[in-house]
Amino acid sequence: MGILMVSPELLAACRRGDRAAFEEVVRRTYRHVYTQAFRIVGDRHEAEDVAQEAYLRVFRGLAGFRGEAQFETWLYRIVANAAITYLRRKGRFGELIIDREDDPLEVAADVRVAEQAADREELSRALAALPISLRAVVVLKDVYGMPHKEIAELLGTTEGAVKVRLHRARRRLKEHLFRPEDRDEV
Amino acid sequence: MRCEDVRPLLPELAGDVPERAAEVEAHLGSCAACSAELGRYRATMLQLSALREDLVEPPKAALERALARVPAWRWRLMSRRIVVDERLRYAALSLGGVIAGAVAMGLLRRRAARRDMALITPASSP
Repeated sequence: MGILMVSPELLAACRRGDRAAFEEVVRRTYRHVYTQAFRIVGDRHEAEDVAQEAYLRVFRGLAGFRGEAQFETWLYRIVANAAITYLRRKGRFGELIIDREDDPLEVAADVRVAEQAADREELSRALAALPISLRAVVVLKDVYGMPHKEIAELLGTTEGAVKVRLHRARRRLKEHLFRPEDRDEV
Repeated sequence: MRCEDVRPLLPELAGDVPERAAEVEAHLGSCAACSAELGRYRATMLQLSALREDLVEPPKAALERALARVPAWRWRLMSRRIVVDERLRYAALSLGGVIAGAVAMGLLRRRAARRDMALITPASSP
């Protein structure tokens, strides 16, 4: 059934046109969908727009969803698509395709002085501070496990370019989390 | 390999198998600094994968707004589409079954006809 707690029976009920079942699917998955959208677009208000668009796509796609693919994977793919489409529509696609290697990772000062190196909250905020071109790739690959090829297709670029961005993103996050004073601890 | 050759490969090694993996591994076995650096990358990636379960709290009314986005008329339309799609799917499957059956029957009849012909017509002697 997966972490989203959506059973095949619930999905079958959706496909039979049971509206209450669809609402139940939305209730069970909303926080996951919203979180994924937020991780990609980096803004709470925009994440809500992306989540709404994603559910419209789920709603339209349910008729074609046969359950051969895992629902969780299917849903994550829909959210990723909705988020990238949203950024394109908002004219932020440039940020997706331009790699700004030298931009400093600007995170609020209170985060910089946080004591714990690999704290998840700090990582979450460091992630939000990455340029979209790097953030989208590292979120899709390292958080949601999407294959390089699929990410490349989604962003309209090559697998090689995806790997380059991924390595840059990993390096910048690692450098942020492990400042020089932490280096002897690992 | 030297540290300056290995360092650029570590972000990849933390998640995948990089080019020249055997050489990189050999270097890591003898270089504590690069090995520690790889550990930092792996710790970062471990935290990243854990973010999947680290859910962000949406605004209070967001869920209700999402539910309200599918009005009743749209729901009825989709339900109808699902029923039509299902019927078309079964019709296509049935048609496929009928065609496959007809082809199989045709082949069997053809084989039987050949066998009958072979029995009726004796092989010509030299």
